[in-house]
Amino acid sequence: MKNLIQDTIRKIETQHITPKPRWKYLLKKYGLWMLFAIVLILGAVSFSMALDNSNNLDWDLYHFMHQDRLMYFLSIIPYFWIMLIATFLIIAFFEIRKTETGYRYSWSRILLITVGGIAIFGIFISLFGLGGRLNSKLTEEVPFYGQHMIVTKESQWMQPTKGFLAGIIVSVSEKKLEIKDLNGEKWNISIDEETLVKPSVNISPEEMIKIIGVKTSENNFKSEEIRPWTGRGMGNDQNGGTMNGNGYRGGMMQGN
Amino acid sequence: MDEQKAYSDVELIVLSKKNPESFGILMERYQGPLFHYIRRITQLPNEDIEDLLQEVFIKIYQKLNEYDEVLKFSSWAYRIAHNHVVDYFRKVNARPQTNTLEDYEWEKIIHASIHIEKNIMDKDCVEKIKTCIQSLSINYREVLVLRFVEDKEYEEIMDILKKPKGTVATLIKRGKNLLVKKMKEQNINCF
Repeated sequence: MKNLIQDTIRKIETQHITPKPRWKYLLKKYGLWMLFAIVLILGAVSFSMALDNSNNLDWDLYHFMHQDRLMYFLSIIPYFWIMLIATFLIIAFFEIRKTETGYRYSWSRILLITVGGIAIFGIFISLFGLGGRLNSKLTEEVPFYGQHMIVTKESQWMQPTKGFLAGIIVSVSEKKLEIKDLNGEKWNISIDEETLVKPSVNISPEEMIKIIGVKTSENNFKSEEIRPWTGRGMGNDQNGGTMNGNGYRGGMMQGN
Repeated sequence: MDEQKAYSDVELIVLSKKNPESFGILMERYQGPLFHYIRRITQLPNEDIEDLLQEVFIKIYQKLNEYDEVLKFSSWAYRIAHNHVVDYFRKVNARPQTNTLEDYEWEKIIHASIHIEKNIMDKDCVEKIKTCIQSLSINYREVLVLRFVEDKEYEEIMDILKKPKGTVATLIKRGKNLLVKKMKEQNINCF
């Protein structure tokens, strides 16, 4: 065994073997953490996109579609982003495990770090509206994205045969609205005493609204509920207002 | 050189980077434990183990700048040895099939795994149990060797194998369970 030591030292000296430079090791070490950070950022961006997409959707329409709540949720959740987040989570998990001391963390701890990191950072960038901006950009630039990869607010509210319609108010009269839908087509919307107009809806020209009701004939729609384009229109008055013979009671209505 | 023998591993690492002779002291310190570790997880003859050990020491020397003090030097050196052995068997396209363990080493694994009284174990029984242990996969045998022959703590095994503590504990538990199962299958009843 004594020879082994002398032989090894001789080999090191004669073959000029030297310790590899530390910078190479540090490059690899920090490179792995950098990669982890990039994956985490991509996960967070996906999270903020999913959050923005979910925030824009109306989650209570199952009432009107006579559908099971769970089935409805499953039909509109942003699978594309959820799958992407899951992919980034898995990559991030293995990235941590590949680091020098990553094996010391239990899977539950790593999961907590990655899920927490993606969620917190995702919410943080959502506060700056990044998810919304990216979603809009993507929907504009890649039509396939908005048409097939996610359920958008637009696709949710452009189903007149199913009772959902959205558009910009063109004109307002006592019991009728004229709107231009998201495809630019004009619709006559009838309003009666039973129509529920949500508190924060501003029924005046140029305002964008969402309508729940029934398509009665070509380009004619009987409204049952009117909501503002953004949100469900819940103000302090949770029940909203209704129309009566003298006009709208509950929200704002300005004829032209 | 003699006064360096009292130096800590970390101090010797610093000196070794400038002078390979100082690395000789580190090698002297770890050649025995690493030699036996490699012997226990392979079935190679001593000459081959020495060749492997020399390659392991050269790798350690080349990686001296990578050593991080969060690990014990011994764990780090064992890890390099473990990886080198795995690479070696991958290269020669073979796998270690039996452990070349001394009798006392077998005894340690057997006692730790199946809790039997020393005085009721006969030689024939020990031989049968050895066969069962040999039939375990390398993953299980290696953790059993590290835990019960090398007497390593879970944390050290974790650092050597770069596996989470839970995985190490699971491997040890499953290794023991598999051993008991194999003994039952082969109707080995020594108790």
